[in-house]
Amino acid sequence: MSFWSRSTPEPEKQSDSLPSRALLWLMASFALLLSPQIDRLPVWLILVCVALASWRWLAQQGRVRLPGRWLRTGIMLALIAVYLVRVQGSFTVDTAASFFVLTVGLKWLETRTARDFYVLFYILVYLATVNFLFHQEIHWALVNIGAIALLLIGLQVLNAPDLPGGIKAGWRRLASMLLKVLPVVVLLFVFFPRMEPLWSVPLVSGQARSGISDTMRPGDISNLAQSSARAFRVTFGGPMPAHRDRYWRGLILDTLDNGTWRQSGYEPFRRPGRVDVDGGIGELEPGQYDVLMEPTDQRWAFALENSVAVSDNVVKESGDLFRFRRPADSAVRYRLALDDSGEQVSEALAPGEARRYLQLPASGNPRARELAEQLRQSTDDMGVIRTLLNRFREQPYFYTLRPPRMPSDGIDSLLFDEMRGFCAHYAGATTFVLRSAGIPARVVVGYQGGESGAGNEYLVVRQYDAHAWVEAWVEGQGWIRIDPTAVISPSRIESGLREAVAEEGSFLENNWASAQRYGNVAAIRWASQQLDRINYQWQRWVVGYQGQSQLNLMSRLPGGFGMKELGYLTAGIVGAGLLIAGLISALQMRRGRSRDRHMRVLNGWYQLCGRAGVPVRSGETPAALASRLATAEPAVADSARLFARMVNSHYYSAASAAGSTRATDDELKRLRRLLSTMKRQLRRAGKPQPRISSSNAQSGKHSD
Amino acid sequence: MSRLIRSRWQRWINRRIPRSDVQLLTQRKLFILPTAAGVVFGVLLLIMLLTAINYQNSLIYLVTFLLGAVFVGAMHQTHRNLSGLELTLVQAGEGFAGDDILFRLRAAAGKDDAIAITLSDEDTQVRLGHVPSGQSADVALPVVSAFRGYLRPDSIRIETRFPFGLLKAWSWMRPVSAGVVFPRPIAAPDVISAVDDGDQTASARSPEGNDHAELRPWRDGDMSQRVMWKRFARSGQMVVADWEADRGSPHWLDFNAFSGTDHELRLSYLSWLVIERGKSGARFGLNLPGQVIEPDSGQAHATRCLRALAVWGQEKPRDMQGAPHGTRSNTDSGKKATAGAKI
Repeated sequence: MSFWSRSTPEPEKQSDSLPSRALLWLMASFALLLSPQIDRLPVWLILVCVALASWRWLAQQGRVRLPGRWLRTGIMLALIAVYLVRVQGSFTVDTAASFFVLTVGLKWLETRTARDFYVLFYILVYLATVNFLFHQEIHWALVNIGAIALLLIGLQVLNAPDLPGGIKAGWRRLASMLLKVLPVVVLLFVFFPRMEPLWSVPLVSGQARSGISDTMRPGDISNLAQSSARAFRVTFGGPMPAHRDRYWRGLILDTLDNGTWRQSGYEPFRRPGRVDVDGGIGELEPGQYDVLMEPTDQRWAFALENSVAVSDNVVKESGDLFRFRRPADSAVRYRLALDDSGEQVSEALAPGEARRYLQLPASGNPRARELAEQLRQSTDDMGVIRTLLNRFREQPYFYTLRPPRMPSDGIDSLLFDEMRGFCAHYAGATTFVLRSAGIPARVVVGYQGGESGAGNEYLVVRQYDAHAWVEAWVEGQGWIRIDPTAVISPSRIESGLREAVAEEGSFLENNWASAQRYGNVAAIRWASQQLDRINYQWQRWVVGYQGQSQLNLMSRLPGGFGMKELGYLTAGIVGAGLLIAGLISALQMRRGRSRDRHMRVLNGWYQLCGRAGVPVRSGETPAALASRLATAEPAVADSARLFARMVNSHYYSAASAAGSTRATDDELKRLRRLLSTMKRQLRRAGKPQPRISSSNAQSGKHSD
Repeated sequence: MSRLIRSRWQRWINRRIPRSDVQLLTQRKLFILPTAAGVVFGVLLLIMLLTAINYQNSLIYLVTFLLGAVFVGAMHQTHRNLSGLELTLVQAGEGFAGDDILFRLRAAAGKDDAIAITLSDEDTQVRLGHVPSGQSADVALPVVSAFRGYLRPDSIRIETRFPFGLLKAWSWMRPVSAGVVFPRPIAAPDVISAVDDGDQTASARSPEGNDHAELRPWRDGDMSQRVMWKRFARSGQMVVADWEADRGSPHWLDFNAFSGTDHELRLSYLSWLVIERGKSGARFGLNLPGQVIEPDSGQAHATRCLRALAVWGQEKPRDMQGAPHGTRSNTDSGKKATAGAKI
């Protein structure tokens, strides 16, 4: 059964049963939900999704047919085959996400009934959930929640195609509903106990994120310098260290191999731990600092020199490096403290370590080796270092983001010919020379600097702050930091890359859309700082509101809240919320029923009659009831007749119906007085009042 | 076991919702439960909560709570759609057996708008749509009839799933008034072929040459004077001369004219004849056992005759009677959705 063949008319009839507008909302939501994924989805998949959704839409318009079962199966198999070929067996979160999106796309072709509509609704809601795993910034959160709102509108249209008042009423209804439930949602969010993850879940993206990597080829970091993406943000408990002291160590590259610096050996494989993105424990003390790191999909954490771990989601490893227990696949907060005791007694390097930090390729860069040999013979270790730095300071070396290409013997041509390079070039060359001179040395990669965010509350470190420098082992002093960039271009270290390359004009030259590029314009700077502050607070308090933060917040409440109390509290909130909603609706019902004030008085009278043993009969007029009451209770005969007459005149005389509100008020007052008179008279008559259920009286319909 | 539960449930419902032609939907009478879609939605929320816990993702927590709260809010909204609505049976319909009998109902919304309301009988469903607050709308609900007689649906279900279709609120109306189902017209044999009806009529005409004495086999209750003893002596068959049949003037449609046939079939013949006469505008009277309608003509007369045929031998359903009248209770279950017959 192919696309153009005359298949049974059934599918078309069924597709009519879905209102077009509902489908449109669903598609809009789909488009919105794809937008956060757009950078991780292959282009062909996006095109396929667009094509399939348009096909569905055209079918809805009656221009084309939806495919029959065979064609549909064929399309499905073909697309899955394409998918399999493209992913080639690599299974990462990205490929899983692509597959998820592909399923949604295919589902468009068989969205015929309301049931399919619901299936799509569920899938799209879960797609929004998946989006939150990858993007937690405030604007993406708004996009996702907006998409869910579109879905809910679509459901309204599906259930009431002739939605009264149109879409506007739908939005208004949804908004008022959300407003009503908002307090409960906020309470739940705050109090719902944040348990430990139940099991460990991998979330490894196959796509490289922008950020430093564990290999360094000259030029890598200068590419990174063109990115203004955020690397991490830091809040200090004490004063912020000066710009030149902000060396954020990330990883150590100790092996030079074919012009590339890399880590020696492999990181030992460890099973990823459970997600633990929250490292807050109480107030920041002086000397402590909180790092909120953007996802890198790597294990390494960045830290100032001489730090110790405070939160338990980072562990200190050899070389004063910090590592997470699992790759940072979402934003992670961790806490470190500066340890100034400086008591690391520098004993001699272990022989293995010395070998590791003296490793050099067998050949290449002869002039650099020669320079090292000269230095070596003239002075001691510290002397070598000092002389080398002086050479950088005194000779015309330039710090540039546009380094020339140095294909062969790069270190030689940097040191002796071109004399223009970026931090990675100089760090690599320095390490090479030091090693050649017999001094154990290593390249350290991380970030340097960072600019303060709005109000100097925190520090923002961006990708263009990426930096590479050198550490050398000096007998008696241990590892010391040597930064050739600091002597070549002091402004890079003192105030950042922007100043350092101001003359060259190469700061973010390929990144014209970045707000940081226009950091000199006060208004833009201010706006981007404020935006970043909002996002920071969002990440810190909403996104980062997890186990430790919650317990911390709760511990400030009186009564010492633990997990168990939180659980009870949550149950209480849900129960109370439901109860209040029920009460409100009950009250509204009651009020709605007796809005007519006369009716209320009349009901009171009916109840009185019921108690007096004269239950109201259905369809009885007030006058008839009054005369029956009069015979049963002669004491109230006169009042009852008067009452009945007044009621009649209210409901049946045209004059009073059109009368002013004042007249109505007076009338009501008299009616009420009469009613209470009757009650008194009854009581005085001393009749034991038999209890008769008053529901009877209420069901008596007043014939108005 | 399940039947026991069901009957008990039915009794509980019947107590809660007494028979009445006017039904004000109050909280006591409204029921609300998640639909299948709502149950799946609940499962989805659970999965989302698990995802949130395992990835320690606050935003997923937030969305889960938000959707959960929307679910509760929807409960409120769905409930409000129906509460305060007054459903009135305006007119119980009339029609021929086997057809759908239209019951006209009026829904008057209370304080709140009633949105996306559906009325359903056992087999049929009518979309009523939207009734703005304080207004009313009429709708005709087709009720499937199988037999002639009084037709009273045991319960008419009024339901809404608005806004999201995750919850359904419903109630029942149990009308007192019954519709009337006329016997299904079947072409009467007399008229199709007056020539030869087989052995009995032929023999009834031939021997005595008597006029229209209908002969039919003896039945319990026939007077002995009527028995044709001569014939009995001759053939051993107890045959009765049905003298009443000689009222067979064209003015009279007679129940007894079709001796030997089933009562229901006779009523169907008569129904057909009434329609025929009604169409041609002829004068005719109707003679039923226990009821005689004097000859007259016109549409009103025809309808009167049809009603008499419909309820002949039937008792008007009493108020608290549980058994449904005339509705096909278990014969077929194919729900037939009828396009909204909104009036």
